[in-house]
Amino acid sequence: MQKFFSNKKAIAIFVLPSLILFIVVVFYPLIQIFIKSFYEWNGLSKGTFIALENYTRLFEDSTFETSIKNGLIFATFLTIYQIGLGTILAFAASNIKTKTGGFFRIVYFLPVVLSVTVVCQLWLSVFNAEYGLLNKLFEILGIDFSQDWLSDRNNAIFVVAFVNAWQYLGYQFALILAGIKSIPTHYYEAAQIDGASPLQAHLKITIPMLAETYRFCLVLAITGGLNAFTQMFIMTNGGPGTSTYTLTYMMYSSAFRAGEYGYGMASASFLVIQCLIATIVINKLIARERIVY
Amino acid sequence: MKFRQLTALFIVVVIIAFTAIGCTSPGTEESNAPKENVHKEGNQEEVITLKIYAQYSDDDTRIPYDYAVEQLKDAYPNVKLELDIQAQDDGQKLQIYAATGNLPDIFQVGTSQIKTLKESDNILVLDDYVKSTGFDKKIHPSAENLLWNQDGHAYAFPYAGNELVLLYYNKAIFEEHGVKVPETYEDLKEAVVKFKEVDIIPLSIFAKEKWITTALYDVFATRLEAGGIKKLDEGKGSAKEKSYVEAANRLHELVKLGLLADGATNMNYDQAASLFYEGKAAMFINGQWEIQASTEKLGENVDWMFYPVFSEKPEAKYAFAGGAASGGYAVSPYSEHKDLAAEVAAFMSEKYCEAKYLYRANPLLALKIDPSLEPIEKFPPMMEKLANELPNIKSTTAFAWGLTEPKFKVAIEDQSQFLLTPGYTPEEFIEELEKTVERLKK
Amino acid sequence: MERAVNSKTKNKLKFSNIFYRICLWAYAILSFYPIVWMIFYSFKNNDEIFVSNPFGPPTTLRLENYFKALTQYNVPKYFLNSVVVSICTVALTILLATMFAYATARMKWKGQNVARIFVSIGMFIPVQSILIPLAILVRDLNLSNRYLSLIVPYTAFNLAFSSMVLYGFLRSIPIELEEAACIDGAGIFTTFSKIIVPNLKPAISTLIIFTFLQAWNEFPIALILITEESMKTLPLGLLFFQGQFTTDWGAMGAAMAIASLPTVIMYVFFSNQVEKALTIGGAVKG
Repeated sequence: MQKFFSNKKAIAIFVLPSLILFIVVVFYPLIQIFIKSFYEWNGLSKGTFIALENYTRLFEDSTFETSIKNGLIFATFLTIYQIGLGTILAFAASNIKTKTGGFFRIVYFLPVVLSVTVVCQLWLSVFNAEYGLLNKLFEILGIDFSQDWLSDRNNAIFVVAFVNAWQYLGYQFALILAGIKSIPTHYYEAAQIDGASPLQAHLKITIPMLAETYRFCLVLAITGGLNAFTQMFIMTNGGPGTSTYTLTYMMYSSAFRAGEYGYGMASASFLVIQCLIATIVINKLIARERIVY
Repeated sequence: MKFRQLTALFIVVVIIAFTAIGCTSPGTEESNAPKENVHKEGNQEEVITLKIYAQYSDDDTRIPYDYAVEQLKDAYPNVKLELDIQAQDDGQKLQIYAATGNLPDIFQVGTSQIKTLKESDNILVLDDYVKSTGFDKKIHPSAENLLWNQDGHAYAFPYAGNELVLLYYNKAIFEEHGVKVPETYEDLKEAVVKFKEVDIIPLSIFAKEKWITTALYDVFATRLEAGGIKKLDEGKGSAKEKSYVEAANRLHELVKLGLLADGATNMNYDQAASLFYEGKAAMFINGQWEIQASTEKLGENVDWMFYPVFSEKPEAKYAFAGGAASGGYAVSPYSEHKDLAAEVAAFMSEKYCEAKYLYRANPLLALKIDPSLEPIEKFPPMMEKLANELPNIKSTTAFAWGLTEPKFKVAIEDQSQFLLTPGYTPEEFIEELEKTVERLKK
Repeated sequence: MERAVNSKTKNKLKFSNIFYRICLWAYAILSFYPIVWMIFYSFKNNDEIFVSNPFGPPTTLRLENYFKALTQYNVPKYFLNSVVVSICTVALTILLATMFAYATARMKWKGQNVARIFVSIGMFIPVQSILIPLAILVRDLNLSNRYLSLIVPYTAFNLAFSSMVLYGFLRSIPIELEEAACIDGAGIFTTFSKIIVPNLKPAISTLIIFTFLQAWNEFPIALILITEESMKTLPLGLLFFQGQFTTDWGAMGAAMAIASLPTVIMYVFFSNQVEKALTIGGAVKG
């Protein structure tokens, strides 16, 4: 048996392709980011070593501040919307015992399978200040709430975050619902006999039982928020002004608009650190051990 | 030993599998396609396909391109151009091309891009070709500085001359609502208030594109400082000077009064232009190349006005925003056929000038036009008016693509768009701009 | 069970049932109506969209919108590119991750924990952060504008998560299975492919969905690495409607509908499988 599992040839064949791929495509570029963040570099020539200058500049750059803030807003919004709302809807769906359950699952999941560009374009037309569905709706209902949805420095980030949250709610919903269904029903039956309402039952049983599912959902939502780029790129171009910049967008803009790759790398390395911290914190908060049931 | 061999074998298999996928990719199929053509027409002359990255989105960019390609068929029958339409993205895609080693043979380039591309050896020095193609003989004396970079070399064949930012207005709307065509800032403010009352958008702008927001700020900056944003780009002066502060204050004051349409910063050219054409907006801001399209849509009702002056400096009437940009058709140093590409680039620029003169009623060009050519499209009245005023114009500045410093360009683009939202403050605008200006001086 | 519940709780249950239904329906509208609205307006002209009939179904089916979208845009091509890239990514990721996870979970070698933790770093690294070095790498490897230039990075980035999930799952498979195979004289490769892989099916089907969705909607890497029209994936290809179709909402809607239809139909057909995969995935616990 020992020999069976220490077959060197097999180990090499199993491990090397992944390891090589990972080192070349992920690890090597990662090291590059950290190295080049200490350089003034235009992406093509050698570049000059400027030590920490890129980093000190980051902290004086109000765009960096906006980017960090937007990343946090985005992540928080995704968490509340996808996990909060997703949980409520999953509770609701698990409690109604009809055929329509499948209908809701399909309807909620549909946006997930659309292309992200379609989703962004679609919501651009919904939020269009002049002809958009939303302002038209307010007009018809006679509510004076028409807004400049995407041109307001404070609101634009929420609008953009909403679009992302909307698209992927279905995925989180499906995961949570799947988790709930995997909990043996006798737990609920016991709770019901004890006189607990379905809501209480969920609070007492489902949420603790789903710790692992939630951990995964949280990592998805938070890192997704911190990395946000596509929605900004398609919907606002970081605008108005710099108000919907995120770290990724900032990196993109520094590198490909201003030709400051080194500076872009500094914000990229910040992004890495941020995601690392977030994941560690989530893992610390939600214990790793499996809950045995 | 055996173990190593097997590992090696495995890696080879993986690599072969990878390349197999790569080979069946349509990308390679297409690059094979021209070769077949070569074989078919091989008896005559080899057909060379050049990739060209050019604007091709509206009449002002489509007509010259089509005309030049048509002419190219006669002059260079063996050259086939493969057009890659330029994205309206402040040249980001070109930067990406350069960074990923995918530069097309010929590409349109702006001033600030020349700087980045030349620092990274991604643009061909055209000095010899300027002479061999006789481009230096054809260029307008006033456009010499567009051809020759500050470092004394030529990097692109320019075609656009001294272009200008114009403020268009719909005469009918102004008359209908009894609004005076503004001559001063105060007039403009009054007009904004009046139009706002009758639910007409005072000024339509496609502020999703950041060069036009830069141009609008530049219009205001030139009221007190003829150098406008160009002066800051050159590293002279400071954003804290009164002229820039006042420009920001007053522009923002108008924005708060409702100068722009809702969602203006998310509007592209089509959307903004249709507001103006449909009579929903009283004014429109764009380059002088808009003259033709506006005249077609609005006929006699459209005209351009001098930018309203600030009362403290009435002589600024003849200070214009916009200006020449030392950009044009450039060539990749990595092109397989760079000599030919350079010749074709020069040819394209020359034909662009002709086409703009013939079909676009545009005399603001970098090259001298063959005097025997008669414009096919008669100059619209607005162009006549502009042509008459040209000698009086005292100063011009630069469009965003004519700025030399990419870092300043990004700052002014982002900040000027920001300034067009009521939630921003002119103080923030000036502070942010000054930060960049200071940094560039170091 | 029901008999054990008194009537008061029964009422309460009924009430909450209605409340749940309202919640579900309300969100269903929010989730579904924008898509329906898009389909509606893909058959309308601007006047209908903006003025006469912004919300309801189209009065006449203007198929010319679809004709316009199909002739002016290469939507099927983009679609095909996305399919090829996503499927190859999924296949390669699953293959490599399964092998890697098996070697780290079961086999005995020096540094197996180090290797596992090393690769799991990938989970914390946003793809976006390495865009620039990646672009340069792809250029140097001469992979630009190939399917591979997308498949390779997508695979590399999905490896970490996939092998982590599979590692966790493998630890829960009793080792006796392999022992039996070993005693029967099966080699490690046979054991792996005949015994282990079939047992990993539930985890693999979850990962297929996850990886597919990641690859299907990946945008930043494609934006940087794909410059050729014929190689564009769906998110990228559709982007360039901006600026060309913008005033013709009908045609834009038609193009978006064409781009969405195949995946929507596929999903509706396979929704049960998807759900099953996610249910098991819930038990996998990343």
